[in-house]
Amino acid sequence: MPADKPDQPGSPDIRIADHEFRRFRDFLYRRTGIVFGDAQRAYVERRLADRILAAGSRGFSEHFARLLVEPDELERLISAFTVNETYFYREDYQLRCLTSTLLDRITARKRRGQPIRLWSVPCSTGEEPYSIAIWLLENWPHVDSWDIEIVGSDIDVQALKTAQDGVYSERSLMRLSRPLVAKYFTALDDGRYRIDEALRGSVQFSQVNIIDQGDTGLWRDMDVIFCRNVLIYFDDMARRTAANNLYDSLTPGGYICLGHTESMSRISPLFHVCRFPEAIVYQKPGEGGHD
Amino acid sequence: MPLIRRGPPGPAGETPASPDAARQDLLSGDPLVRRRGVRSLGDGPEAVPTLMEALRREGDPAVREAIFTALAALPEAAEPLASLLRSQDAGLRNGAIEALQALPGRARSLLPGLLADRDADVRLLSAEIARGLPAAEATALLCGLLERENDVNVCTTAVEILAEIGTPDAVPVLRGLPRRFPGAPIVAFAVDVATKRIAGAQN
Repeated sequence: MPADKPDQPGSPDIRIADHEFRRFRDFLYRRTGIVFGDAQRAYVERRLADRILAAGSRGFSEHFARLLVEPDELERLISAFTVNETYFYREDYQLRCLTSTLLDRITARKRRGQPIRLWSVPCSTGEEPYSIAIWLLENWPHVDSWDIEIVGSDIDVQALKTAQDGVYSERSLMRLSRPLVAKYFTALDDGRYRIDEALRGSVQFSQVNIIDQGDTGLWRDMDVIFCRNVLIYFDDMARRTAANNLYDSLTPGGYICLGHTESMSRISPLFHVCRFPEAIVYQKPGEGGHD
Repeated sequence: MPLIRRGPPGPAGETPASPDAARQDLLSGDPLVRRRGVRSLGDGPEAVPTLMEALRREGDPAVREAIFTALAALPEAAEPLASLLRSQDAGLRNGAIEALQALPGRARSLLPGLLADRDADVRLLSAEIARGLPAAEATALLCGLLERENDVNVCTTAVEILAEIGTPDAVPVLRGLPRRFPGAPIVAFAVDVATKRIAGAQN
């Protein structure tokens, strides 16, 4: 079958035929939940062709066969499709909601000694879980009175390695004040910044695919989940599966924060909508009742 | 530092229950255990009869949601789900519609029969399922329904859906509809809105 010419080919040597595009798209959906339509074909082809060349494969068929047996190449491919630029203190209205409202409600029903558990998923390269940590240290007066566990998870192993390294460009820090950068980062010779060692040691990073029940099932009793700007890339079924998985990972009465363009009400009937002055968040019914 | 690093998940993490244990969980009095049972049951077609049986006796919304999500991933569930369109329980009917919309491949083969069902309520709910199909396919199915349909509620539902997703192929059928319902001005009104919207979508 002759290959179709893509709109903007990644390489003059790599062509992806219609049936190959469909096969790859379905494969990527099953592995990640991310949906690419025909309109994104050029985008998908560029990244796929780049991976085929970088991995030394001779074409789609050979590379697709390798994906099924080479976990490292699969990880690199997923990384190529999930790169998501983010920065510290992004959507900080939700962090304000966390310290002005949510944590008071959460601690009101906890016994002393029980940890507060916060989960950033997907966490990309770590800016969000570290932002949560810095925000709490700076803005929650009870931060010294409670044990707080922060977990950052992502499907992309390469992104997680960056998160664990904790080295960021000036651009990632653009929303942080100079005093905060000076307090929590060390300037490196190459113009980048390394996050404080103690902060780096306080966040647990792990690989999780949020549509994989086996992955999310390992993390339970979360008080707040930050799941921002990922469900918009999923189709209805994957969104619903993710909502069920996140529901099971939350403690009864726990909260989930989505991106500002996302609404859980359109995805799942499982959660109550909570409208707070700073943000709309979604609550798992249960202990403590509906706020 | 008050922030403490949580240990990695280990054996303490949840391990999937065996299918037998999952079926036992489905009979528990605790909704959390029943929900766990649903989610442990597995994603093979052999789970469909057990999930359908559990669905019919389940009253807890969170457990129902887990069951519908599990069924919506199983093409073999399409026919049993379609049987729920006759249920007296609105939650079951709506859940079945959403699950069938997530199974367009199987729903597609069931829709011609459902849209010709002798029960007007089933025809009306089936029109909602057609909403999830590609526009050209949904238009053809709903126009076929409108050409033979005598129930005004079914017709107005189909017209409203065509107003959202219909293609210009629907316009001739829509324009002929008000003549068949001279005593129901709502039909002419809905058709007027639909044809304008379809024309607007083309501009």
